[in-house]
Amino acid sequence: MPLREDIPGFAGYPRPDGTVGIRNHVLVLSLLGLTNPSARRIQRAVSGTVLVATPYGRCQYGEDSEIHRRQLLGLALNPNVAAVLLVGADRKTMDGYAASIAASGRPVELAALDDTHEDHLALTDRGIRSAARLVRDASRLVREPVALRHLFVGVECGHSDATSGLASNPVAGRAVDRVIAAGGSAVFGETIEWLGAEHVLAERAASAAVAERIVAAVARRERAVAASGLDLLGNNPGQENIRGGLSTIEEKSLGAVAKGGSATIVGVLGIAERPARAGLHVMDAPAFSPESMTGFAAAGVQVMLFTTGHGNSFCNLLAPTIKISSHPAAVARLTEQIDFDGSDVLRGAENLDRAGNRLVELVRSVASGQLTWGEILDEGEEAFVRVGASF
Amino acid sequence: MAAPGTGDPSGPGPSGWDAVQLHPDDNVAVALRDLTAGQEATIHRTGGDRRILLPGAIAMGHKLALAPLGAGAVVLKYGASIGTLTADVAPGDHVHVHNLVSNRARAGG
Repeated sequence: MPLREDIPGFAGYPRPDGTVGIRNHVLVLSLLGLTNPSARRIQRAVSGTVLVATPYGRCQYGEDSEIHRRQLLGLALNPNVAAVLLVGADRKTMDGYAASIAASGRPVELAALDDTHEDHLALTDRGIRSAARLVRDASRLVREPVALRHLFVGVECGHSDATSGLASNPVAGRAVDRVIAAGGSAVFGETIEWLGAEHVLAERAASAAVAERIVAAVARRERAVAASGLDLLGNNPGQENIRGGLSTIEEKSLGAVAKGGSATIVGVLGIAERPARAGLHVMDAPAFSPESMTGFAAAGVQVMLFTTGHGNSFCNLLAPTIKISSHPAAVARLTEQIDFDGSDVLRGAENLDRAGNRLVELVRSVASGQLTWGEILDEGEEAFVRVGASF
Repeated sequence: MAAPGTGDPSGPGPSGWDAVQLHPDDNVAVALRDLTAGQEATIHRTGGDRRILLPGAIAMGHKLALAPLGAGAVVLKYGASIGTLTADVAPGDHVHVHNLVSNRARAGG
């Protein structure tokens, strides 16, 4: 595919680490469940802040602990985050996170129970004052025109039906192709939804090693499901999928992978793993969209393309989530949920390329500041992936 | 993929299609709108459109058989296997979870 340098870029916030934000969030990040109520009070008191609060943070070990840390730090380093207030208990742990965040050039402040002798109200007071200063400083930053190659797009689907495979996913795929052709990056995940389509993905891998990792990732999850005795029917495809006409996981997967477009797959990422280079990646991660999108946001995704059949309101918090449906009744019914209407593709009134171009224009507009319905209605949330039990 | 919206000039045109065969190898088509029992549906195919009398209703997005298929037959959509039939079907019959099972992620399979 020819490199399309002629595609206009967007107006974003250049960060000291070389990434570009499409939003300018001051993140209140509670590092463990104990301090979430204080963090919530701080966030409510200071306009211009967003809250990410993990229910966990202690009694984790091994891979689960590592992935939890990677999600927390990855969210703090998301390009859409201008500055971070860490809320937590012990200074030793918090100083470690603060050092990594400071190394990215982002302003970071701490509110620690260690410093307030376990006084949660003193913690709240300290946090409000710190967050207020961070917001004032962040408000001085201004958007600048940048090239489309600075965009890292996450592609997700939820409550899919047959219209997703027929129209919405191929349209999202066309938009992804254009971002990749412009030198940008994209990622899709939900490993179990590659099952039955892994041969299609492996053929598009940049190397034999990447192809092997794709096939191995699917095989590992397929074995886990089979060993559990679980019947995927009713779980994935779920009841909404089945009502929409999808009968098996293979059928759902073959429609789902179309949302990744047609570019070469250059790498397989772990959960919340930041890509080392530009291009199209896949993330070996859970299929439930709240967890999946948190993995993307922690990897540095600034904007999500989210395809749905008859509707799905859930959005990522840090990355604006563009909801796409091609189901005529859903688009007509969910007037404050669906950001992009692909139903003309299903009617035969618009071809996939034109719809894809229209979606790229919306992405550029959202990247430059246009709000999604999910942002306006405060639908965003982060959901942490666990890969092991607590001790 | 011979998807709707590709502007294929053959046949009655996209607005006249009731269902579409997504890949030439497919033995099922996908309904583009809610279809009713007794209706003669226009199926868009790469090799030329055809009409099939529907024995039962097919909801939008659901699949209908394009040929007589026996139990044990592999169902193809997007040109790939999406599972195996557990019962015989006739052209126009609804193909879904009542007569189609996955071949993947099954205990012992």
